[in-house]
This record gives sequence, C-alpha cells and structure tokens, in this order.
Amino acid sequence: MARSLSQLLLKRFVAYPLTRSSAITFRSINQDEVWYSTSVPSDPDTHEDFRPTSKLESSGLSLENIVEQDVKENPVMIYMKGVPELPRCGFSSLAVRVLKEYSVPISARNILEDPELKNAVKAFSHWPTFPQIFINGEFIGGSDIILNMHQSGELKEKLKTIAANQGKAE
Amino acid sequence: MASRGLLSRASRMKTRLQSALEATLIEVEDVSYQHAGHAAVKESGTNETHFNVKIVSSKFDGHNLVKRHRMVYELLSDELQSGLHALSIIAKTPKEAGM
Repeated sequence: MARSLSQLLLKRFVAYPLTRSSAITFRSINQDEVWYSTSVPSDPDTHEDFRPTSKLESSGLSLENIVEQDVKENPVMIYMKGVPELPRCGFSSLAVRVLKEYSVPISARNILEDPELKNAVKAFSHWPTFPQIFINGEFIGGSDIILNMHQSGELKEKLKTIAANQGKAE
Repeated sequence: MASRGLLSRASRMKTRLQSALEATLIEVEDVSYQHAGHAAVKESGTNETHFNVKIVSSKFDGHNLVKRHRMVYELLSDELQSGLHALSIIAKTPKEAGM
C-alpha cells in the first residue's frame, strides 16, 4: 500500500513539473529526481489551450494536496499561464516581472498544462483567475494585488527574509 | 444566471456591482480586444472576456485587497462562469480615492 502510494506520488510529480527559478538567472534547480524542471513548449505557435491536456488517468492522490505542498515548500509560488521564461498571458507576465525585481527564487506551475490542476488551485484559494501568488504559504492574490504591494513597499517587506536567505545561499 | 443577449456584459457587471456595493464611482471597461486570439476567448464562445473595473465604495472600508477582490469576484460569479475570463480590479474606499 505504502509502495503504491509513493508510486502514485511519483507519477503525479513527474506529470506536474515544477519550475523553480532564481529571480536573476531563471536557472532551473533539480532538487531531486522528482522535482524536475519543466521546459518551454517545443512548438511556440501552438497555444497550450488548444492542445489536448489531460494526460493523467485519475489516481487517488488529490491534486489539492499537491497545491498544499507547493505553497508550503516554496517561499514564492506562482500558478500562472505559461512559464516564467515565457508567460502566456499579460497578467501572468506582469506578476513575474514584479517578482523578478526581488532576489528571491520563484517556483512556478503552468496551469495551462492541465485543467485539473487549474481547478484544484482555484478550489484551494477560492480565487477564480490566474496568476495566483503565494508567499510563505499565504495567498497573496493576482497581478493587480502584487503590483499594488510592489508599489506600496509591502512586497519588499514580505520578501525580506526570503531574499536574505537567498543572499546567504549564494 | 445572468440574463444574456440584449445587454452587454459590461453593463450587466456595472449594474450588479453598483447595486451591491453602492459604489460612489464605478467604471467598467471592456478591453477584450487587447486579448484577441487569446485561447480562452475562443473557448468561451464570447468576445467579452477581459475587463478593467474601477470601483470606489465605502463597503471596502476595513477590508484588505484580497477581500475586496473576492467581493467583486463573488458578485460576478455568474459572469465568470459564462465566459468572463479576467478582470483588472481597482478597488478603493472614497477616502483612499480622495473623494
């Protein structure tokens, strides 16, 4: 039982690659074999929304658990359209640009890759649109709010500890 | 379900927000044209998908931005379920707006 569960877990994480990038270089960190980096779609002319996206047979593991784990383990987590290197929506692009102003690692998931993941994130945050940003496990909001917090100085305050830790690590 | 057809989504949204929030000022701007070709526009079968919303209401008093945005999203849940795709929201109290 334990084994089959861990296999499910493995499958899930492989199917939902998490991009983790440094704010400056956007290098991908391969934390371990499971958390592998995602890549830019191979065909830039085909929008992800038009592709058949459901690539998972349903399993017992709830997607909501993955979201919960994401926001717990990643100090700055963004659910967005596209990837940080290539956002597929102006609002996602804006949010990434704002976060890149700070020297913090950004973890991202592309919700265009899977409608189930998209719905799980919506259900988790009770928020209907994307991008969605979480800092230290706290739901922050979308691009309007992150921009507002950037302008008010509130974001700098919130990211201070994360940026300091990042400075030490490098 | 919001009635569809005769009224534009913008005017439905405006009416809904105005009556629920007793807004001092309300502006709803349809900016869907800026997102033409956006996948969600085609999926939803409507061309009214993206809006800028500016609301000044004393009902925002004492609520942070997340809560204010949630209030707007909740009021527009019918629209969000029928093809409204994205909102840019400015939500201020009369005091913050200098009114």
